[in-house]
This record gives sequence, C-alpha cells and structure tokens, in this order.
Amino acid sequence: MIEISKMGFQYSGSDRMALRDINLTIQDGEFVGLIGVSGAGKTSLTHTLTGMIPHHYKGDFYGSVRVNGMDTVECRGEDLYRIVGSVFQDIDSQMVASVVEDEILYGLENFGFSREEISERLENVLDTLGIRDLRYRALSSLSGGQKQKVAIAAIVALRPQIIVLDEPTGELDPESSLQIFRLLRQLNKEFGITVLIVEQKIMLLCEYVDRMIVMNEGAIVFDGPARDVVRHTSTFEDIGINVPRVVTLCGQLQKKGLYNGQVPLNVEEGEKMVREVLRGGRHAGI
Amino acid sequence: MGNILEFVPGDSFLHRLNPITKIVLAFLFCICSLLSNNLLIQVGLLAFLMIIAFAAGIGEKAMGLLRTLLFFCILMIILQLIFMRGGVGYLVLPGGFPLVTSDGLYYAALFTLRIINATLPLLMMFAITQMNDLTNAMVNRLHVPYRYMFILTTAFRFIPILAGEFHDIMDAQKARGVEFDTRNIFKKIGLIVPLCVPLLVSSVKKVDSGAVSAQVRGFSLRTRGAGYKAYPFRLGDLLALLLLAAMIVLLVFFG
Repeated sequence: MIEISKMGFQYSGSDRMALRDINLTIQDGEFVGLIGVSGAGKTSLTHTLTGMIPHHYKGDFYGSVRVNGMDTVECRGEDLYRIVGSVFQDIDSQMVASVVEDEILYGLENFGFSREEISERLENVLDTLGIRDLRYRALSSLSGGQKQKVAIAAIVALRPQIIVLDEPTGELDPESSLQIFRLLRQLNKEFGITVLIVEQKIMLLCEYVDRMIVMNEGAIVFDGPARDVVRHTSTFEDIGINVPRVVTLCGQLQKKGLYNGQVPLNVEEGEKMVREVLRGGRHAGI
Repeated sequence: MGNILEFVPGDSFLHRLNPITKIVLAFLFCICSLLSNNLLIQVGLLAFLMIIAFAAGIGEKAMGLLRTLLFFCILMIILQLIFMRGGVGYLVLPGGFPLVTSDGLYYAALFTLRIINATLPLLMMFAITQMNDLTNAMVNRLHVPYRYMFILTTAFRFIPILAGEFHDIMDAQKARGVEFDTRNIFKKIGLIVPLCVPLLVSSVKKVDSGAVSAQVRGFSLRTRGAGYKAYPFRLGDLLALLLLAAMIVLLVFFG
C-alpha cells in the first residue's frame, strides 16, 4: 500500500515546488493511471515512490511517503527496490545489457537470488510476457514495443508488489501501446501487482485503469474512477489535456438535455450512447 | 557503417572461449606484432589473424574493420615515405631528389602491417565477446571491482546511443536550414561545435536515467559472486594461451 500525506518537493536550484500538497493512498492491487501536461509533476511523483526523491534528486522534501509502511526517506533504498519496480521513460538508456536474457538477469543477479531461483524466474517471465522468442536477441535489434516489453520483463522478474511506469508507451505506435496496456492489466489481475502508470494517451487510460489521477502544476486536481474524472471536461481543457472525443460528445449531448446516462469511455460505449440518443430523438419526433 | 565494436553472434571455438582468455589472447597477439621487425612475419601474422577471423565466422566483420583502419594505414604510408630516406631512390625528381626510397617503402609496409596486427585483435575480440560476459568474468574471476567494469560497459553501450542522438540533433538543425553539407571543412567544424552543448545536456540526462534504472534494480547490492552464468576455464583456453605464448617465445628468439 502506498500512503502519501501532505507531501511537497522542491528540486534544489529550482524556484518553484515540483510537487505540492499531495495526499494519496493507493491500495494493493489497484491499477492507477496518472495524467497531466509535461511539467505537472508526474515523473517527480513516481520518483518519490522509489526513494529517488529525495535520495538521488536532492531538494526540500516535506510530508511523508510510505510504501508498505516504510518511510521512503528513512528506509534503505534496497528494501524499497524489492517492493517497488520502475520502468522509465527513456527506453534505451535504462537498458544495462546488450542481449535480452542478460537484461532480465541483471536485477535478479544483483538481488542475489540463488541460481535455481533465477532460472525459474527467468523462464517464467519470458512466458508471462510472451517474449521467449526474443531471449537471445540483441536489444539493439528490437522494435520499441519489444524493448519496452523487455524493460517490463526485467522488472516483473523481480516480482515487485508495485510497478511504477513512466510513459512506457511514449515512443510506441498505437498497437504496441495497446499490447503494453493489455500486458499490464494481465499482471495486475493475475498476480495482483499494483500498477501506477504515467500516460498521455487518455483513451488507453479510460479503457484500462480502475482509477485516474490528474495532476497540474505539482498538485493532484482529480482523483477517482476514470468515468467520474473525465466528466470535468472544461477543467481538462483549461489544463490542456485532450479528453476522448466520445466524452466531449457526451458533454455536448448532456448540455442539450439529450442524454443523461453514464459517460462513455470507449468507442463501443460511445456507439451505444449515440444509438440511445437517436432512439430517444425518434421517440420524441425530432 | 554499423558500430565497429558490435558483437557478432556465433558458436565457434573462439566464441566459446572464456572472455578473459579472449582479452589476454588479443593482448598477446598485439605483443607478437610489436616483437618482430620482419616484414614476412608481419604478413604471416595478418594471414593468421584473417584465418582465425574466418574460422570464427567474423570474416566479413574483420574486413570491415580493415576498411576502418585504412585511413590510418594511408597516413602511416605517407609519413614513412616522407621521413624514411635511405636505400635506393625511385621516382627521382629533376633536382636529383628521390620521391620514394626503398627504405621508405619497406617501413611503410612494415608499420602499416604492424598497426593492423596490433589493433585488429582487440577489435575482433569485441566482435566475439559480449560486453556483459566480459564484465561478469572480470568481476567473478579477476575480482575487478564491479563499479569500474560497469563504467566501462556503460561507456561502450552509450556510444551508439549518443551517435544516434547526435544525428537527431544534426537533423533538427538541418531542418532549420543549417548547411552541414558545406564543402569547407573549417566551416563544417564551426557548425558542428555548437551541437556539443545539446548533445552534452542530453547525454548527461541519459546517463543519469541509466544510473537510476540500474540503482532501482539493485546495482549497489551486487556482490562479486553475483552472476547467473559461470565462466570456467577449459582445455581450449589453455591450448589457445599456450599457442600464443609459444608464438611470443619464438618471436623473441627468432623474430
């Protein structure tokens, strides 16, 4: 469980707070999406969970962040890394090896697992992520989506309770992005891993996450089920985040009093909404 | 041109040698090339090296590396022809000044071959050794601190990443109308120098994110014994080392 209370952070040398007054509790097994324009503090927030803030990135830290009851400021980083795994934005620079297998082995070796344990986990993760055929491939020969899967595999192999991903689909095409989200949902459902994902593609978030957090200027603006959060279309526009077109359409229909059902989150639900409105219109003789 | 240090996968005798053996062999071969002033022996060494390369399935790679070395070879030939003035003169200019001398030719050939024989083995070693294996073997077997090997591996790993970054920045500049295709070499250098700032900034960022990523995967916890793969020394390693040692002994006495 992640408990953040009254947390704030200011990078040293910066004249503004990167994070302000963050209060957040994430239960085990949740699938949480984090969205916001760049500079909103999303990446900083993920860094606080791994203890990189304030241990690696220095600055003034206020309040507290607790992961499974451990205070990230006081506890040893090593204890935290066993619980929280992170996948970073830049795919290439986070790789430490040149072959897929070595990349996955890296963390396992570092944490000092026994040889049997390592081979069991390695085989397991290759199957779970469906990358067995990539095992001996050079990382430089992989596509962006494949690399991202390897990066996630390297973390999943460590069997963390929480995975934090910073825009893992940032450099990927729509199909690969979708694959990554499916994979994360599978990990979330099958293994109960808590997933916190920073993502710009709001459609994907709407479709996959249980809970959506919107950040702006270092603070949390909205926090709740995706369906509730996306209703605030005007605030989204003010902040500069695009809402899915089905949501915009829904808002307009609601304004005209033509629709008062639940907010659609994907194309199928949007279709249902439109059909319903049309049917209603026909009944009303419009 | 691909990355000249890139690994070429394979399952040859050389590929299967212990990484430490490979690097020692490469250095021993370099020593061999420095021991002899005999042109024929240098030719023999190069021939031997090429046979090894083709046997290990990296023949094409070795030829590619030779092409990369060509520039230095030509430079060496020119320098030797200019500065080694002895023996019979050829291509005598009107003033009785020979453009080329027999000594010049001899040393040009000798030093060119020596450059190749001293550098090619190391480059070939990288073609048949995974950096990761080399790191792990050095740490496990030779007890080199992991920290230092990690720096080395990371440096190698970042070469292609930074090269890509550099191209991106250059393309971005080209799109803004900077004429990198100018023929004037000095002007070109003048245009490239300012690119160093964005390149430096982005590489520092990349290195930092690499460090953070290694750290959250337990970089600081790694012990000397950590390593899933074992790197035993086998009979083949011994034989290869003995062969090179014998070559050195022969060259010391008869080279």
